[in-house]
Amino acid sequence: MSYLARRAALFALTLLLISVVTFAITHVLPGDVAMMIMGTQSNPTALAGLRESLGLNDPLIVQYGRWIGGMLSGDWGVSLRYKEPIAALIGQKVTASAMIVVLSLLIALATAIPLGVVSAVYRDRWQDTAGSGIALAGISLPDFFWGIVLILLISRGLGWLPSSGYASPTEDFWLAFRHALLPATALGLSLMAHLTRMTRSAMLEVLGQDFIRVCRAKGLGRGAVVFRHALRNAISPVVTVAGLQLGYLFGSIIVIESLFNYTGMGWLTYQALLNRDVPLIQSSVFVIAAVVMLANLVVDVLYTLIDPRVRLE
Amino acid sequence: MKRREFLASSSALMGGAVLGPGLHSIAAHAADQPVRGGTLIWGHSETTQNLDMHKTGTASTGRLLQNVHDAIVTVDDNFTVIPSLAERFEESPDGLTYTFHLRPGVKFHDGSALTSAAVKYSFERVKNPETGAVNFEVFNDVAAIETPDDLTVVIRMNQVNAPFLSRLAENGAGVIIPDGSGDIQGTTPTGAGPFKFVRREFGNEVELVRFDDYWGGAPHLDGVLSREVTEPTVRLTGIQTGEMHLINDIPLDRVDALKNDPDLQVLTWFPLSWAFLNFNHAVKPFDDPRVRKALDLMVDKETLVQGALWGQGVVTASPSFPTSPSYNDGLAPRAQDYDAARELLAEAGFGPNELEFVFKTTTNYPWHVEATQILVEWFRQGGVKASVQQLTWSDWLSQCWVDRDYQVTMMNFFTLWEPDFLYYSLWHSTGAFNYRNIKDAKIDELTEAARRVVDPIERAEIYKAVQKRVQDEALDVVLWFRNGTVAARRNVGGLDALVHPNGSNLQFKNVWLKS
Amino acid sequence: MRAILSPKGIIGLSLVTVFTLVAIGAPFLVPEELTTKINVLVRLKPPSIEHPFGTDQLGRELVWRVLLGAHTSLVIAVLAVALSLVIGLPLGVVSGYFGGWTDHSLMRLVDTLLSFPVLLLALTISAVLGPNLPNTILAIGIAFTPYLSRIVRGETLRVAALPYVEAARSQGASNWRIIRLHIVPNIMAPVIVQATISIAFAILAEAALSFLGLGTQPPTPSWGLMIQASRDYLDVAAWTALVPGIAVAATVLGLNMLGDVLRDVLDPTIMTER
Repeated sequence: MSYLARRAALFALTLLLISVVTFAITHVLPGDVAMMIMGTQSNPTALAGLRESLGLNDPLIVQYGRWIGGMLSGDWGVSLRYKEPIAALIGQKVTASAMIVVLSLLIALATAIPLGVVSAVYRDRWQDTAGSGIALAGISLPDFFWGIVLILLISRGLGWLPSSGYASPTEDFWLAFRHALLPATALGLSLMAHLTRMTRSAMLEVLGQDFIRVCRAKGLGRGAVVFRHALRNAISPVVTVAGLQLGYLFGSIIVIESLFNYTGMGWLTYQALLNRDVPLIQSSVFVIAAVVMLANLVVDVLYTLIDPRVRLE
Repeated sequence: MKRREFLASSSALMGGAVLGPGLHSIAAHAADQPVRGGTLIWGHSETTQNLDMHKTGTASTGRLLQNVHDAIVTVDDNFTVIPSLAERFEESPDGLTYTFHLRPGVKFHDGSALTSAAVKYSFERVKNPETGAVNFEVFNDVAAIETPDDLTVVIRMNQVNAPFLSRLAENGAGVIIPDGSGDIQGTTPTGAGPFKFVRREFGNEVELVRFDDYWGGAPHLDGVLSREVTEPTVRLTGIQTGEMHLINDIPLDRVDALKNDPDLQVLTWFPLSWAFLNFNHAVKPFDDPRVRKALDLMVDKETLVQGALWGQGVVTASPSFPTSPSYNDGLAPRAQDYDAARELLAEAGFGPNELEFVFKTTTNYPWHVEATQILVEWFRQGGVKASVQQLTWSDWLSQCWVDRDYQVTMMNFFTLWEPDFLYYSLWHSTGAFNYRNIKDAKIDELTEAARRVVDPIERAEIYKAVQKRVQDEALDVVLWFRNGTVAARRNVGGLDALVHPNGSNLQFKNVWLKS
Repeated sequence: MRAILSPKGIIGLSLVTVFTLVAIGAPFLVPEELTTKINVLVRLKPPSIEHPFGTDQLGRELVWRVLLGAHTSLVIAVLAVALSLVIGLPLGVVSGYFGGWTDHSLMRLVDTLLSFPVLLLALTISAVLGPNLPNTILAIGIAFTPYLSRIVRGETLRVAALPYVEAARSQGASNWRIIRLHIVPNIMAPVIVQATISIAFAILAEAALSFLGLGTQPPTPSWGLMIQASRDYLDVAAWTALVPGIAVAATVLGLNMLGDVLRDVLDPTIMTER
């Protein structure tokens, strides 16, 4: 348990550092927070007054204190552009993003593991070349390019799935799923490619180990060897990597959600960045970083619980 | 570039389009008889912002809230002020008193009745600078707002303010909200319009439902679901697949293709907005009219409309609404003439490739980015080195609009059909929208005089002189009017009354859906 | 060396060679005016003899834009990775070699930065600084730094524990001398592998940034910008997306293959990191 306590303390510390980094980056912003509020109505005198009333003239440390205090007490401030409480805005969008992220993880795992296993089992034969080729192509093309291709083929060409928008799963689950499927696929493709390569090398390693040879020697069928023994041993590093790739996925949602007009966290963050909506940038960047870190922590902890040997520290 | 081919293709367009917004080129026969029921799904091109109609300055929000609010007066297609929530109004001969007689029996969405108290409350809310209303200066000359009885409002002015009545008909300024409802307007806009606001999920969708007690008769539709889809291709796919019933702002290059789609009807009108090229007069050498004229002379306006707008627009030298009395149709844009341009530049002291500047353009309007690239290429051919800097909307606002930190830029404005609003704010040296640092004594004199002239014809002549001055001195280069476009599925009826006379707002009260 | 001569090695190496030659040669061979030359009469023309790669929405020849786009990609990717090396290498070496308090605080910072998705970090930095070419390089370079310093630190730890470093230390060699003569040369192999892969990712990151309007500015020819501009014309002019798309894919594919092969050759023990 002391291990978990230590991890928790470390988590809190990193969270604090994340908040400092986020605040630091956004406060280099040369642009105007007051500007967005006033828009075309702004003039220098009114802006100066507004800056004063918003506390933008206070020392940075005071502003940071106010921000972090607000975050802790649940008052995340109000978006400058949307004029809505940030906590509520982010709350709406996080579930939307969680949906496509989880879906893309599932899609990636469901395709990568079979592909990787086939590549490993048929090492250096055409199946391997094909599998590795698909994987390399997946890593080499930008995910927004895949997104464009999917819109063209699946949505506009075949008319199977909507090309844009978001629907709430609590209102219409099926519709929500249909809206999430294309962005999730585009998001999952490069992860799939990555995991295929992981699975292949992990499988190759396991297949080369003694116990597999023993199994074979004992006359076990090939399928049994591959699936019951080799895959079981190869899969945990693959799943771990998948978990750790959440960070990458959360980076990509910015592009993919903008492309599909899928109004989740990525879309919100992009809008905030474009509009210099500083309070919203701070909170959404912070939330994404925190989610990524939390995901990594959960994967780590689960991994140590399952396999106590990796408890290195 | 072969200019002649463009002139041939675009002159036909001009001929038809100059007739203005009254003439909607509809390919519609979906009409039949209005049917009650159904929720219309609208793919809206922009994200709505502050929902408080008094405070919002964005055309996108006005376009939607048009359906939630009614103003005390409105305008017809000729921009004549006509009754709305006031069934009658009078202006005293000396121009110092306005009397509004309110329509009896009008209900707000919250169930309360329209009274003179609500009007007084609304006007005072806009007038109060603390509110932060966009149109507060409309009430600058108002001395008193009196309410002799429940249905009469009398406004007394300090001095003649000729534009007052028509400014009340403009987005926001004359909108009447229930007495004391100011605090809820930002989250739950409440008015006396044909549709009630239900909810907004920011940046995603806004839901409106029919207001059964609407004074003008309940609308046909059960409701309108406005999906905010800023990506043009996504709207296009949406209307083609039938996910949406109606979209505004068809991607410019697809308008002609969609007109041939048997499943769709396409509505185009003119103009939706106008655009101009800006020089910062406080920065050398752009204070020199020779330099400004030289750059103007490098621009082939017809080709620009083809190149940046795919022909969905018309060249103009006047920004006045084309059907308004102040439109100066005697002005012609300068034609492209590199020799004359080089000569002027040489006179101003610039040999070939000696003038260099940065052209700031905003990505908020993708066709501005295209236009900028075309303009910069022409400048290069004319021996002027310009580089492009793309700015997000907020960066453009901060750098160009407020800090006036730029050399050359371009901008467009929606429907500033009211000439005082247009010319005073944009070209008067103290105008709120004079982000080009223009200081022209003649224009100041003209725009000030127009405010005190009650006779509409005389006023119009003054504004025509302003336009001529802008053109003569190349204070800015007015480029084009851009067309408005809407595409709808075949089963949408009542499109002929969809576009508000201001050319920007969409009104759904007479629209219906055939099953 | 045999791995280099494998089919993968040959394909990877040739793709990278072609890319590098084009990227370096194009600015000398293609006059810049050709990439901005606008002709609305020939907009969105499909590839033909007259227009080898077709034209874009302003009638510009894609062939010139894609060739000079290679230059833009190379400049940004190489400089960004170089920047992350310049910061990340000393950081990682110092952290790994000296350990203790320095290591602890530096790695805390690196871990914190690693919680920010690379693209999010790059986008935020670019939005903060204002998007243009130098700032794109800066944004990508900074965003990559924590990854590189992590790897450098790990390698330093491994090398520093090797017997001959111990031996050098017991002979009284100064820290600086050990770092210069023993540590740095011995960690270069994995760092080079990582740098190769990072260049591939930097090209993708530049494309993504430009695609979102927070990278290179028009009319500079950039593959990401070209794909962004093609979005509105995909169904009628697919080549406007395919031409830059294929260019990105071939380059990144080549770099990845080369990276794979280099890894086999130089250091078979390290794992792919992203």
